[in-house]
Amino acid sequence: MISAKDVPANARILTVSVDGELVEFKDGETIYEVADRCSREVPTLCYDPRLEAFGSCRLCVVEVEGIKNPVASCTTKATDGMVIKTRTNDIEQYRKTLLEMVASENRNLDIDPLAGYASQELGKLIERYEARPDRFCGKQSGKTNQEDKNPFILRDYDNCISCYRCVRVCAEQEGDHAINIINRGFETQISTEFGNDLRDSQCTFCGQCVQTCPTGALSDKKALRAKELPEEIKKTRSVCPYCGVGCTVDILSKGDRVVGIQPAMDGPANEGALCIKGQYAFDFVHHPDRLKKPLIRQEDGTFKESDWDEALDAAAKGYKKVLEENGRRSIYGIASGRAPHEAAYTMQKFIRSNCGTNYIDNCSRS
Amino acid sequence: MTDKEIIAKWKNETAPLLPVLHAFHDRDEYISEDTIRTVSSELKIPVAELFATISFYHHFSRELPGKQAPRVCTGNVCCLNGGTELLEELKSDGATPMPCAGRCDEMVPVIKGDKVLVGKNSSSLECHASPLPIPNPGNLEECIFRYIREKNRSTLDGYQNNHGYAALRQTIKSSPENILQLITESKLAGRGGAGFPTGLKWKSVAEANGTPKSIICNADEGEPGCFKDRAIMDHDPHALIEGMTIAAYSTGSDRGFIYLRYEYPETEGTLQKAIDEAAQNNLLGEEILGVEGFNFDLQIRRGAGAYICGEEGSLLNSLEGKHPFPRNKPPFPVTHGFENLPTVVNNVETLASVPHIVRKGPDWYQSLGMGEHAGTKVISLSGDIERPGNYEVPFGLPLKTLLHDWAGGAPKGKEIMAVTMAGLSGGFLSGDDLGVTLDEPSIRSKGSFLGAGGIIVFDETRDMVKVAHSAMEFFAHESCGKCFPCRIGTQRLKERLSEEGSGLDALEWVKEVDEIGEVMKATSACGLGIAAPNVTDSLQKYFPEAISNHANK
Repeated sequence: MISAKDVPANARILTVSVDGELVEFKDGETIYEVADRCSREVPTLCYDPRLEAFGSCRLCVVEVEGIKNPVASCTTKATDGMVIKTRTNDIEQYRKTLLEMVASENRNLDIDPLAGYASQELGKLIERYEARPDRFCGKQSGKTNQEDKNPFILRDYDNCISCYRCVRVCAEQEGDHAINIINRGFETQISTEFGNDLRDSQCTFCGQCVQTCPTGALSDKKALRAKELPEEIKKTRSVCPYCGVGCTVDILSKGDRVVGIQPAMDGPANEGALCIKGQYAFDFVHHPDRLKKPLIRQEDGTFKESDWDEALDAAAKGYKKVLEENGRRSIYGIASGRAPHEAAYTMQKFIRSNCGTNYIDNCSRS
Repeated sequence: MTDKEIIAKWKNETAPLLPVLHAFHDRDEYISEDTIRTVSSELKIPVAELFATISFYHHFSRELPGKQAPRVCTGNVCCLNGGTELLEELKSDGATPMPCAGRCDEMVPVIKGDKVLVGKNSSSLECHASPLPIPNPGNLEECIFRYIREKNRSTLDGYQNNHGYAALRQTIKSSPENILQLITESKLAGRGGAGFPTGLKWKSVAEANGTPKSIICNADEGEPGCFKDRAIMDHDPHALIEGMTIAAYSTGSDRGFIYLRYEYPETEGTLQKAIDEAAQNNLLGEEILGVEGFNFDLQIRRGAGAYICGEEGSLLNSLEGKHPFPRNKPPFPVTHGFENLPTVVNNVETLASVPHIVRKGPDWYQSLGMGEHAGTKVISLSGDIERPGNYEVPFGLPLKTLLHDWAGGAPKGKEIMAVTMAGLSGGFLSGDDLGVTLDEPSIRSKGSFLGAGGIIVFDETRDMVKVAHSAMEFFAHESCGKCFPCRIGTQRLKERLSEEGSGLDALEWVKEVDEIGEVMKATSACGLGIAAPNVTDSLQKYFPEAISNHANK
């Protein structure tokens, strides 16, 4: 039996049957969460575990004994004694038909993985269910908005399947409410206020909409610059070098070039979130102006390339001189917001014990 | 009114968004960008969200000519009666089409501003009161229409001439538990179509935790071919108000809303007048009829053109000023309704039956039905029928009795070929299945349902594929766009029924239509997507030849 985490020892044990297997769960868990925990691989398109369950794609429907129609497992709470079947022939057929219907209104199923973290979801499901994209032909929905001049987010709504993950992540995770759903039915369309470009909206270009999009309708313009590079995409787990929050990122590279950044959905500090800098501001890595060695300013104001020993000596000499000539209150330390806790701690220790002053602050609040 | 005055009037009211938007729409005839920005900042709704929500409602204009431009009904009945031609005639005035506007018992309705004009062509358009139901042709005892034809029934005096508010006076002498018991015993069930037992619903709200509780009347009568609620509200508004007040007393609710569809502007005036009269006479408001602690504030909220807002989750979201998508259930409104608090959502007919039932007793009400069936149902009959209109029938009445004996059959000696059930949602009945009786078990045994009680009649000359296309066009137009099977399915079914055809051979046509229908029925998130395939299913069941001709075109 698979156990639910955090079940208090004295609580009554709640169980459901999932495809004949008895599974413990804790009060409040949805059928999808329980099924996912026992690796049922229930397919979804509108689901993002960080967001409130929405129940629109209906791919996650399952049979529950005693309920006539299949229920959306993402929005239905498990109850004690429930008998659940996650992949009967009927259910699998509904899923296949649904995928064929979705594919029928989607122009492009072959999406470059550089487009975004979740961009392969639809394509993979179509493949898994051997769904035929040429059935149910008819009008296609969504109007592309490739004219949007912003440098970061490609908005190709030809590929939009109206799962609204972008709208929901923008509202629920980011709190920006920059985009929403206009019109209704087959005419629904993702839009900013008054249909403006993203630059004229509340968008902060955090890129979360791009990373949750399951079809590549929203994609990472910067990463796609490297689409034609022949090498394989390599992902390297790291920590964002900007502020001290410590967002976990996956750095995408092709050969020896950094080509894009994706947030780590399991990053403890960010859970898939990044800001505009962490998401898009990585061009400095390969920029010709980038400093690779310390520079020491000379008497005439010019810079001389140096190594770290010489540079640190020069800095120490400078501190000593100022302390001797002007006293300890002439020093004021401001730690960089980019520095992590340890570096910030070392900085204040340096200012307090070496320079003998409490004039220490952090750029985040000065 | 200035922007500031509009905002000040509504800002601190409950459910302010719709009335604020209507106030601007009334003043400017359209909703401008400035209005959206003002409302956004005053009601604290993000601009993009408000912009999007407004686009959901088809009667809010975003440009001139706005509210005064004619909206012509090209609904499923009106397109039989010249609606499409009238639209063409009025195009030079900026006319646009609208789905069924609930005047199917007359000629084509045209909404201009806050007036509904009705006529066959532009020269015959005129504004008049909506028709009263004719006296019961079967001479049967009625409940809901019992006094509706009495003079001045819509005024408080007229209402009180025939036992008006007697049921409320009786109610306050009794305990809420007794009233709940009485309603349960009467077997009254939801007359909006779902048929949920009213007593059980009220009891659940009475027992649910959380206050304030609400009574919401679903008067968003959007189902094509349904116009019974309009008749009740236009001619017997106090019955609805009294029913809601009794519901409030029984459940301990102190606020109420009537969510009225946009297409009934005159009805809003009638209801408001009745509410004001009731309030002036201590039949609404605080300490009603002197009963300490019995407070009930009743307000009207007007919709803005979205069929899905008749779905209770969408209705609640709409009232709350949110995007009107249906809500995921459970939880149900009885515990998590308006503002996430216990809420009764009942149809107009259900609520307006209550005073009669309270006054005359549950046994009396049950006895009105035929055989095993309890009570009555108002049927809205329209289309190719000699005497279209609202008929209160006992449950169990044979459909043919209604069609032929009561309503005169098809005009000009033609034969009735098919009828719709539940407006459009039940699809068609035809042939031998016209022998059903008007009650859910009988109609459901034919794969359809009675629902809200709209029946549209088609004579032998009608092209049923065209009729089905118009029905599916409605569902596609009104699909909210949330769940995939309905959003894509209604569109694909519409395309397969269209005159241009789908390029599929008959075999493939049937296979695709069936497969789409199956997935919609099994997986759609609300009743719209579940019911829409009834149209294609029943079309195939009764008119297989029409299908093969259509598909091979």
